[in-house]
Amino acid sequence: MQDFLVRGGRFPDELIAHLPPLKTECTVEKIAINAVMAGAPPESMPLLIAAIEAMADPKFDLAGLNATTGSVVPAVIVNGPVRNKLGIPYQAGCLGGVAGSAAGIGRALRLIMRNVAGQLIDSTSQSVYGTPGRVAGIVFGEWEERSPWAPLAERRGVKGDAVTVYGAMGTANICDVVADSAEGFLEIIAKSMAYPGANGFLTSSAFSETLCAINPVWAEVIARQFPDMRDVQAFLWDKCALPIDWWRPEYRKPIEALGRIKADGRVHLVPTSDDVLVMVAGGLGGLHAAMLHSWGTCLTVTRAISE
Amino acid sequence: MTIVLDPTAGSNADIATPGPDAGPLAGKRVAIRIDMLWRSWDWVSQIWAEELRAEGAQVEFWRSCGRTGEEGRVAAEEYAAVLARADMAIVGLGNCGSCTSWTIADALQAAATGIPTIAVATAHFEALAKNLARRGGRSGLRLHILPYPLDILPRSEVDDIARNQYRSFLRDFGVRSGLAQLSAA
Repeated sequence: MQDFLVRGGRFPDELIAHLPPLKTECTVEKIAINAVMAGAPPESMPLLIAAIEAMADPKFDLAGLNATTGSVVPAVIVNGPVRNKLGIPYQAGCLGGVAGSAAGIGRALRLIMRNVAGQLIDSTSQSVYGTPGRVAGIVFGEWEERSPWAPLAERRGVKGDAVTVYGAMGTANICDVVADSAEGFLEIIAKSMAYPGANGFLTSSAFSETLCAINPVWAEVIARQFPDMRDVQAFLWDKCALPIDWWRPEYRKPIEALGRIKADGRVHLVPTSDDVLVMVAGGLGGLHAAMLHSWGTCLTVTRAISE
Repeated sequence: MTIVLDPTAGSNADIATPGPDAGPLAGKRVAIRIDMLWRSWDWVSQIWAEELRAEGAQVEFWRSCGRTGEEGRVAAEEYAAVLARADMAIVGLGNCGSCTSWTIADALQAAATGIPTIAVATAHFEALAKNLARRGGRSGLRLHILPYPLDILPRSEVDDIARNQYRSFLRDFGVRSGLAQLSAA
């Protein structure tokens, strides 16, 4: 415990956040106790504290996220040199299964949600299915060294060591063995993300985001044609849509009421290209991208990790 | 020596009383909080609003939409303004996890202003609503329960439920009116 508190660089009784649904005080000491129980490394304390601060930002809607019927878990994305210092995975197997500290760090955050925030299935959480990520979290990094674009956190205004929390409805794979161009890769990613049951298409959500991780092999090809990430996001946003006629007739009225049917008759998954989050991660085997759909109107939050 | 540390955190102090009764309806301004999720709650609250107006109350609806970011900031201001104008508040609908969380949060905010407040949820989410109210420091929050499932029922059935439950709703709200007293007798 002593080591964890020292590495955290804060007083044990310092209040980090009030965490819903219990609205209880999450102190540095509570984070440390749960981190010890989870087997997280002491050096991860600054990351854990920053992640909790980010989740407690009202933009993240943790109160709703922790109670929802949805199968959501805050995904924790790490940028900066701290990735290598802590052994956060960002290469092959980064979303689960690779040896390293991610499982311990993720488990610590899950225990904090359970023990401090009070998220308990059938009590305060109504999640119909839950998700494997609620066991040991989803903790991974960006392969910045192989990314042709600026790091995700830097594009969101935080350079260097940073944590980004994203309300993820699990992870899903996108596989392709035909595409050989930037547009080909992006189009299969975008069209795969535009499935009708995705959060962004729900008429109960006023707005939403979506996130995809592109492997370094595809990213290199894509960046030759789209060196500016904003163009990547714009392309993905444009193709990530379904024609309104795809839905049964009773869907038109509520979708129309939200003003979401464009002049060309398409409905986009998310309101703007800024709402399409893109990062580079994954192994050099290529062939796959990963999509992480958002939940509700939970907005992504990025925080600096302070030593 | 081994010291065992507690990984959990305690909950807040509690207000176990339901707060003031709604009392007579004539001349009162009633705020009804609806949402963008549940058409059934739109239907129920429309019928209840007609009944409330028939008893002399003025009804103002407020629809909860996006609650994060800039839209959320505007929504928070709007809701606070609605509560400031209201003599009593009806807040719903708790019919899923996150919407129950927001329903109770908004009901607790209304109750904290001192006005008579009642939250409305469906039966499946009653336990969650009570749990969240207790965690939010007000276990005595008034709660009216509608049947579950509700939102997949045809409008005619939902309308019947709204009419059939109006009197019990008034009683739960602490309304003193001819209709409520008649039904209580």
